[in-house]
Amino acid sequence: MLVVGALARLSVSTALAYRADVAFDLGSGVLKALGRVAPLFAIFGAAEVVGGWTFDGAMAVMGLFLVVMGIQGAFVEPNLGAAVEGIRSGTLDLWLMLPVDAQLLVSARRVAPGALVDLPVGVAMVAMSAVAMGSGVGDVLAATWLLACGTAALYGVWWLAICTSFVFVRVDNLRFLIWSIADGGRWPSDVFHPAARVLLTWVVPILVATSWPAAALAGDWTLGTLGAGGVVAVLFLGGSRWVWLRSLASYTSAGG
Amino acid sequence: MIEVDGVSKVYRAVEREPGLSGALRSLWNRKTRDVAAVTDLHFSVAAGEAVGLLGPNGAGKTTTLKMLTGLLHPTTGRLRVAGHRPQDREVAFLGSIALVMGQKQQLIADLPATDTFLLHRALYDLNRTTWRATVDELVEALGIGEEVSRPVRTLSLGQRMRCELAVALLHRPTVLFLDEPTVGLDVEVTVALRAFLARYRARTGATLVLTSHDMGDVGALVERILLVDRGRLRFDGPIDGFRARFGSGRRLVVRGADLALNDLGFVLEGAQRWVATVPVAEANGLLARVLQRHPAADLTVHDPPLDEVLAAAFGEGRRT
Repeated sequence: MLVVGALARLSVSTALAYRADVAFDLGSGVLKALGRVAPLFAIFGAAEVVGGWTFDGAMAVMGLFLVVMGIQGAFVEPNLGAAVEGIRSGTLDLWLMLPVDAQLLVSARRVAPGALVDLPVGVAMVAMSAVAMGSGVGDVLAATWLLACGTAALYGVWWLAICTSFVFVRVDNLRFLIWSIADGGRWPSDVFHPAARVLLTWVVPILVATSWPAAALAGDWTLGTLGAGGVVAVLFLGGSRWVWLRSLASYTSAGG
Repeated sequence: MIEVDGVSKVYRAVEREPGLSGALRSLWNRKTRDVAAVTDLHFSVAAGEAVGLLGPNGAGKTTTLKMLTGLLHPTTGRLRVAGHRPQDREVAFLGSIALVMGQKQQLIADLPATDTFLLHRALYDLNRTTWRATVDELVEALGIGEEVSRPVRTLSLGQRMRCELAVALLHRPTVLFLDEPTVGLDVEVTVALRAFLARYRARTGATLVLTSHDMGDVGALVERILLVDRGRLRFDGPIDGFRARFGSGRRLVVRGADLALNDLGFVLEGAQRWVATVPVAEANGLLARVLQRHPAADLTVHDPPLDEVLAAAFGEGRRT
C-alpha cells in the first residue's frame, strides 16, 4: 500500500506539473462527457423503449460507460502509452530493476486528471437511474461486483495490448481498435447483433462493465450472471498476467 | 559475488532481402536466423572487486550486463549474482543491485529529483531515518544541493547524471552495474563522477561492473578487465596484464646530456631525449642497464594508454 500511495502521489504531482494542461484537460473532459450523454436524449426523445431498454436503463448504461471510461482514461490509457514507449525505447529496463512488481509499477505510473471528469458525471447518472428504477441494495451490490469484474477484465485487455508491443513495433492501431470497440459499451447490449454481443463480452468485455451492471440495477441478475462476470475477469486478468510474464522472459530490451 | 558459468544468449533475427520485392516476399516468407550475442561465457567476480566489461560495439557486453541484472534471460548456462539467479528477479536480489545507464533516465522528468528519491524510499521499503541520512550524504558528496529541488527537465546533462547516481545508490546496493555512466558528459563532470564512484566503492566495499568505451573510466574505476569480442571472453585479468598482453609495451624515456643508448635499443627523439618501447617483462631489466651506465640519468616510464591497448586488442580480434 505504501508503494501504491507513493506512486499515486507521484502520478498526481506529475499530472499537476503543468497547470495550463490540467485546466485544458478538465475543460475538455467536461465537454467530452456532455457530448457522450447528448445522443441518449436525442434517441429517447423519439422513442420510450429502445431494444427493450427504458430511458432509465439506458442512462444507467451510459453512466456506467462514463465511469469505466473515466477509470480507463485516467489510470490505464496514460500508462499504456508510457509502457509501450518504455518497451520500445528500453526505459522499461529501469522499471524492471526496481524491487516491486513491474506490472503494478507500469500500471500506476501516470494519471490523467482530465479523464476523471467522466467519473462524477457517470456516478451521478447511475445514481439517478438506480433511484428511478427502484434498485434494492442487492441490485446495487450485484451491479458493483459486475462493474468491478468488467473493469478488471478491460484492464486485462489493455494489458494484453501492452504485451503485444514486445513483438510489434507499432501498437497504436491496436489501441485505437480497442477504444473503438469499447465505445460500443455506451449502448445497451440488446441493440447489438448477437455476434457483436459476443465480441463486446469475450474480446473487449465492455458489456460486462456497462450493460450487465445496468441490468442488475433493474433487478435483472442471477448468481450465474455474477459468476460469469467473475469468470470473465479471471480469464482476462489471469491471461494478461501470464502473457506479461512470458513476454518478460523473452524480452530482448532495446539498444546496447 | 558474481558467477557466470557457460552462459550463452541467442537472439532470433529476421532477415529480409532489400527493396520492395524483398519487403513483399518477407510478408509471407519470413526468414530468420539465430544470432549468438554471447557464447559460453565463464568468469567470476569476488565481492568488492571492480571489473570492466570491455569490447567493441556489438561484442556482447551490454547483453552480458543485462543478463547479470536479470533483464535478459540466458539461453543456456548458469548465472548467480549476490546469491540469486538474476532472471528470477527476486525482491532481495533487486534490492541489492543497482543499474546506472548513461543513456537512460529513471528520474521523472517533470518533477524534482527529490520526488523520485521519495518514490524510491517506498519502492525499496527504506527506513525513513536511514533514507534521510543517505540522501543527505549523497547530495553532499555529489554536490547537488540546489539541483535536487528543480524539475529534472531543467537540469543539464551533468547535473541530471549526478542526480541519477544519487537515486541509484539510495538503497545502498552491494553490486553496482554501470553502463556507459559518463557518456556525453564534459571533462569536469566526468572526472568528478569517477572520483565520487571510486570513493563510494572504497567506503562501501560495493562490487562494481562497468561497461564503457571511455578508457578514462576504466583506468579510474576498475582493476580487472574482461574483454568480450564477438560474444566470447578473450581476456580476463588485471589492467597491467591487459597492457602486457595487447599493448605495444612500456615506453621508457631517458633525458640527459652525453648519453649513449642506441646500442640498448633507444632512439633519440629531440635534443637529449632517448626513447625505447619494450615489452613489459623486459622494462625493468632495461632500466637497470641504463642506470648502471648512467646513474644520474633522468628516467621516466610510461604505460601505453589504455585506449591504444584496447584498439590493439580489437584489431587483433578482427584479424583472428
